[in-house]
Amino acid sequence: MYKHIWLKEIKAGLYTWKSTLWLLIASLLFSFTSYLLLTDKELSLLDQTELLWLLSKIIIGVAFLIVTIDASSIITTEFEKETAESLFLAPLRLRDFILGKLLASLTLWFLIFIVATPYILVTSAGTNLAPAFLGYVALLGSLGIVAMVMIIFGISFLYRSAKNTLTTSLVILLAFSVPALFSTNLKNNTFAQTFGKINPINNIFESLDNVLVDYQLSLLNNWQFIYPLLLFCILGLILMVIAAKGFQNKGIISND
Amino acid sequence: MINIRTKLYILFTIGFLSIGISYAQSESNKQSLVIDILSSKTLNGTAGDYVTVTGQIKNVSQRSIADITTYLSLVDAENKLPVDLEDWSAEKGLYIGTIESGQTLPLSWKIHFVKAGDYSLAVVAIIAKSEIPEVSRITHFKVSSKRSLNPGQVLPIALGTPLVLVFVLLMLNYRRRTD
Repeated sequence: MYKHIWLKEIKAGLYTWKSTLWLLIASLLFSFTSYLLLTDKELSLLDQTELLWLLSKIIIGVAFLIVTIDASSIITTEFEKETAESLFLAPLRLRDFILGKLLASLTLWFLIFIVATPYILVTSAGTNLAPAFLGYVALLGSLGIVAMVMIIFGISFLYRSAKNTLTTSLVILLAFSVPALFSTNLKNNTFAQTFGKINPINNIFESLDNVLVDYQLSLLNNWQFIYPLLLFCILGLILMVIAAKGFQNKGIISND
Repeated sequence: MINIRTKLYILFTIGFLSIGISYAQSESNKQSLVIDILSSKTLNGTAGDYVTVTGQIKNVSQRSIADITTYLSLVDAENKLPVDLEDWSAEKGLYIGTIESGQTLPLSWKIHFVKAGDYSLAVVAIIAKSEIPEVSRITHFKVSSKRSLNPGQVLPIALGTPLVLVFVLLMLNYRRRTD
């Protein structure tokens, strides 16, 4: 049944010209960034590995932003358009509903990754980092995005309002992204270091730095960054399950 | 009335004092540290390169010298401007501490060639409470400009990917309409 929900969402989301324009804009952004990085006199002075790291951060950043915006409305739209009631009158389990929506949100991430692949390959030409670059962006991005989507789904069941869910999700995303803007001095602060260790986006960027700049390619060398992401996934799953149970207990009509 | 013996005594005393003072002044003006840049020949490179400036500092005086700090002084020879080492070197100053008489210590800085041009480099040593710094001989080197990484390969991707996407999206739109 989840396949039905998943395909319905993909058709609704990707079948029209207007609804896929974001993908083209993301592609133009990657084009602009990679062309600038590889041809600009000042920027091309950077080590190629640092340049790859910069591009990986842009890919992950764009993916998080797009998936967050999409996931914030994918469940709440059913409540706002009052289609949730008829949906749950059908023999549909909540688990299938959530799984279908989750796969639809992850499809967006998959499409962004597919669009980003040529840029990853062209920027890493001349290094032997292309497979590691692709593999780690896929792994770390998927872990982070799955966790983020589950948290957003949890918020969606609690709020049942697209506007409030989107605002809260964007604030959470912004909070996770802020340490990336910190200077080195600020990052040395104990509080910033602690926050950095539990922050999923920071862990993704640090792991990519470890792989692309420091050539620490093995999973073992990156385990310190991967396990907080796994914990973040578990946390997201717990939040989503609690919110979904609450939704089941209150019923569809409850709108407080 | 001063007799001749007293006059001679005063004269010799003044003479000895003058010699003592001038000897002390010459000792204090004498160079106590000798700094050499050893990597002068290997410094030329391309913008973006990391090179290591190696050198040595030797205490040529008869006493140990404490509280020495050494640093690089880099001048852009074309623009006649000192270069801010913020981006060029992670280690701006090296604190030596105490160097014994006759002792030689190595110096090393890793620098990043940021911009093409002609540069002059010297190592300066500051001794605490001393008014005169010790400076090495100046090394001149050239940083050549770096060509872009791969503009030929990136352009087809940068232009081609959005165009392919436009084509795919148009095809999807066409299919939706015909459905």
